[in-house]
Amino acid sequence: MADEYIVEMRHVTKRFPGIIANDDISLGIKKGEIFALLGENGAGKSTLMSMLFGMYEPDEGEIYVRGKLEHISSPNYATKLNIGMVHQHFKLVSNYTIAENIILGIEPKRRLGLLPVVDIKGTIEKVSALSKQYGLEVDPTAKIENINVSTQQRVEILKMLWREAEILIFDEPTAVLTPQEIEFLLQIIRGLRDSGKTIILITHKLEEIKQVADRCAILNRGKLIDVLDVATTSTQTMANLMVGREVDFVVDKAPPRYGAEVLRVEHLTVKNRDNFPVVKDVSFSVRAGEIFAIAGVSGNGQVEIADAVAGMADAAEGTITLNGQDITHMSVRQRTDLGMSYIPEDRQSVGLILDFTLQDNLALKTYYKEPFCQKGILNRAAFAQYGDRLIGEYDIRSGQGRETVVRSMSGGNQQKAIVAREIELESPLMIFVQPTRGLDIGAIENIHRQILAERDKGRAILLISLELDEIMGLADTIGVIFSGELLKIAPADTLTTNEVGQFMMGVKQDEAG
Amino acid sequence: MTYVNMIIIDGLSFAIPLFIMAIGGIYCERSGVTNLAVEGFQGMGAFTGALAATLVSGFFAADSQVPMVIAMLFAFLGGGLYAIVHAVLCVKFKANQVISGVVINILATALTTFLTSEISTVLTGQASNRFRLITSVRWTVPVLSDIPVLGAIFTNVYPFELIIIVVAVIAWYVLYKTPFGMHLRACGDNPHAVDAAGVEVGRVRFLAVMLSGALCGLGGICFAYSISVQFSSAIYMGYGYLAIAALIFGNWQILPTLGACLIFGFARSGGTALTQIMELPSAFTDIFMTLPYVVTLLLLVFFSKSNRAPRALGEIYDKGKR
Amino acid sequence: MKRVNPVTRGILFLMGDEKRQRITIPILAVLISLIVSSIVLLVMGKNPFEAFASFLQGSGVIPKRAYGAKQNMFTDFLGLVDAWTPMLFASLAVAVAMRAGYFNIGVSGQMLLSGFIATVAVGYAETLPAAVAKPLVVLIGLVTGAVVAAFIGFLKTKWNINEVVSAIMLNYIIRYVVSFFVKTAINNPNTRQSWPVSEASRLTLQDVEIGGLKMDIPLGIILAVVAVILVQFMFSKMKLGFELRAIGGNPIASKYAGINVGRSTILVMALSGALAGLAGVTYYLGYYGSIQPDVLISTGFDAIAVCILGNSNPIGIIFSSLLISVIDKGSTYLQSSIGVRAEIASLITGLILLFSACGAFFAYLINRSRQREEDTKNLAAGRQAGGKEAQA
Repeated sequence: MADEYIVEMRHVTKRFPGIIANDDISLGIKKGEIFALLGENGAGKSTLMSMLFGMYEPDEGEIYVRGKLEHISSPNYATKLNIGMVHQHFKLVSNYTIAENIILGIEPKRRLGLLPVVDIKGTIEKVSALSKQYGLEVDPTAKIENINVSTQQRVEILKMLWREAEILIFDEPTAVLTPQEIEFLLQIIRGLRDSGKTIILITHKLEEIKQVADRCAILNRGKLIDVLDVATTSTQTMANLMVGREVDFVVDKAPPRYGAEVLRVEHLTVKNRDNFPVVKDVSFSVRAGEIFAIAGVSGNGQVEIADAVAGMADAAEGTITLNGQDITHMSVRQRTDLGMSYIPEDRQSVGLILDFTLQDNLALKTYYKEPFCQKGILNRAAFAQYGDRLIGEYDIRSGQGRETVVRSMSGGNQQKAIVAREIELESPLMIFVQPTRGLDIGAIENIHRQILAERDKGRAILLISLELDEIMGLADTIGVIFSGELLKIAPADTLTTNEVGQFMMGVKQDEAG
Repeated sequence: MTYVNMIIIDGLSFAIPLFIMAIGGIYCERSGVTNLAVEGFQGMGAFTGALAATLVSGFFAADSQVPMVIAMLFAFLGGGLYAIVHAVLCVKFKANQVISGVVINILATALTTFLTSEISTVLTGQASNRFRLITSVRWTVPVLSDIPVLGAIFTNVYPFELIIIVVAVIAWYVLYKTPFGMHLRACGDNPHAVDAAGVEVGRVRFLAVMLSGALCGLGGICFAYSISVQFSSAIYMGYGYLAIAALIFGNWQILPTLGACLIFGFARSGGTALTQIMELPSAFTDIFMTLPYVVTLLLLVFFSKSNRAPRALGEIYDKGKR
Repeated sequence: MKRVNPVTRGILFLMGDEKRQRITIPILAVLISLIVSSIVLLVMGKNPFEAFASFLQGSGVIPKRAYGAKQNMFTDFLGLVDAWTPMLFASLAVAVAMRAGYFNIGVSGQMLLSGFIATVAVGYAETLPAAVAKPLVVLIGLVTGAVVAAFIGFLKTKWNINEVVSAIMLNYIIRYVVSFFVKTAINNPNTRQSWPVSEASRLTLQDVEIGGLKMDIPLGIILAVVAVILVQFMFSKMKLGFELRAIGGNPIASKYAGINVGRSTILVMALSGALAGLAGVTYYLGYYGSIQPDVLISTGFDAIAVCILGNSNPIGIIFSSLLISVIDKGSTYLQSSIGVRAEIASLITGLILLFSACGAFFAYLINRSRQREEDTKNLAAGRQAGGKEAQA
């Protein structure tokens, strides 16, 4: 039986301090197939494949490659076994050219007189040839810092092919791509399979699996749930297995009751560090009791809109008005005081001070006001009291209560803490950016309920999310952003998921109409 | 000797040892390890070299130049070995690199002062806090030195200047043309990429720090021969940080750094010449000595955008993190 | 089943949890360096215990066998305090910046410039009464240090220039400029240093005779103790301290919380510089009394490591800076009592600083072996439970 599989894992277990990442997993991957690994964040997909790629060694169990028991102790050894991996975060040297990146670690040499030197010229020709062969065209002399994300991904694929990889692992390859780029990538992946390579695709996106995969293994909390034949299984079944229970895609939602306009953004333009406009002439407004959601593929300027409204980024042009007051040039503090809550995309590097205690983080937006502070002196008792109240009301779980250092808390509880802090500000305007990123289903549902509750209390809510399901489920009004421009603003119930998806790909209104 | 000649000759003999130390700094920093320890490496290297020269001097004629060559060799080794402390702290122990650098300088001063006094007293039989070195010969290339103005470059040259230039060329070749150099520079930009390419980041950095120490040590002993013909811990104060200024000025690249070192060297010798011409008290050289630092500071102010430190500089590399 | 080594367990128990490690790890670092120094002393054929006792005797912590005229343990101790005061200020200066996430490596330069300006402005004004001169010296030190360091903070905020780099550049600019003036304008040709400052301006009262003893009374220590208390109060109880710690923890999150990061950066550097300035005047117009040209004293650099040893905590710094000062001050007596070169003091100091720099690594080792111990326990517990289930 073993000969059937090019890779076989038997009873593989991997533990990290305090958590079992992979629990007794056995599965086989056939030569020449596209094998998908499906699971939620933290289900153990990446860990499992990291072991195949030699980044970790299993605590228990065996890995067979081409029928032979192997101890894959390093990525180098995995490369020798013709295994390659494209990591979720690309591993490229930004000030090197594409060619230099491809040969890093296995540099071909030539002689210059007596001295051996790295053969860059020869490499450039060979890289060109290789990229043409697989339809992955790149300019080998371009520097990584000057090329876009999808080209960088091509470089990562070329790196594997240069090392003559036969088993190619892709870790969440579509997370950073636009729909067209995803389409192109999936095509490339099919092409690679057709030329005899074995592909392992790690993802949590069901549609992609449905499109390209032959078989699919489903992981949940470190355990292998099932291995399915993709062609004969419905997306709903896969989703249920992935989550471990019936998934309810529909959120209960009362009809909206709009109040006065709270936020108005007019002709907003935001430029990035290289002075390039990433938000172009964007205008919209959000009323009290309304969830205004901005849909779009990652990196199209939606986060910059949120940052500009919150005062974390400068508006190059345009005006931002909060409750009739021009806040375009106000400081973050002034905006907060006027009534703005902000749940940022990156909770660990923006939303929290990880080495502070939970109570200090909970008071991060109020510490300077009474009763926390009087005449520059802090009232520690107020911190403690406030912390305890929020911990109870929002069910924030941690090792040592309010004294817990936030770094040691789970992602879900960190997010609960941020949401608790921001809701307690009772701001007329609340900005949520990717509020459920990286959370498990239970926590996601909880956050969704809270967002709706805030809307029903009459707050204006600006929601930015990459998850179309989330937007379709929550929004009252949807704005679709593409390449820094709001292409479409319409009430949510007048748009279908399909239409929104089209705008996200940059199809203009009249064309879609 | 004209003042122009003096400026060129003294400028070069200062700039060139400074240059090799700056290259040492570049090796360390381009691999992603902050190096404030240049001075410590320099001091321990020079100490080792001077000790070796003192120990072997009895076997050679009083004016023999062989001990100097031996001293340079041992300075190279001594600097490299002492740099292991920085490498262990920064690479293995993942200590803060700035703190490690500062501590290494403090320890180097303490060690060289203490050991120089102890050993020198034992060797000479009388209390002494320094090693006496032989006076270096100086070469003048016949025909070339007769070229007007530029001839000074070939006049009164210390042999070590030649050796350093050879070493510098080798260092340049290794850094930019060999696989090791490619790995080293990649470590300073994105160590994760190096790791993924199957090269051990820790090993590359460890070696880079050691080479850095070796090159700084070499520069250190040359200063001992050119400035004072003796070694004591007082002779190397401040040059390490000047080398750091030079490499920042040179944008962490070898050739521009040579330019920076030459500017610093000529500013120094020019300052001295100027005080002599204007018959000012020698204290005025102090004012000219501030030039390199002022210029570097101004450069940082006006070119802070184009001046780019290695992207991963000072970041502790943790394999597990992504 | 794997057993946890009892020695490991004992060490783990002693080192305590993360909170206690803040104290135990520096102590461990000091112990290791004392062991290494003992080995050095043994190699030299000296008794390490005698040597360590000499440090304590020389610095007036324990009594010597004999004292000269008008001297006793107390006068020695005052001498220690005299030397300790600038070190305490300097370490505090580093700590204030460090808590907000910045390195003030320019303390030595800030000290020198403060000392120089105070010397020139007040030190030679013979007519000024002490009651005016001394506060003026303190004020000048405070302001000069603050201005220099605030400039470093400004460069950081305005052009994002690394504060370590700019501080080093300023260190040397100050060193050379001050040297120039010390060699030209205020040079005492006999000592080749600056002329000593006036009695009225000096922050250490010289040769005061009280009860038959001749002592130097360092007034600066009162200020230093006040500074320690203020800094401690600021970080634990004040809004400003909360904000500064927030910036040290995460500058982006601090901006998000509405803190003006740029202004706070300049402010904290100014505070750090003010303390460095006080270190400068208590050194140059207190302990030492004049300025040497061509020297940037090592206090500012030592202070960085002293601060690490004291965990950047004002109370911790009292102990770490005192320890370093004891070693420094006691070294002279060491030389005369058992004939070990005074230079060994800086060697021992260097070793302590070296091992304190390894503190994070010690913590890592301790916590890793503790994790292992727990994992072993959990695994064993899990197996047992599993076994029982199987039996049932």
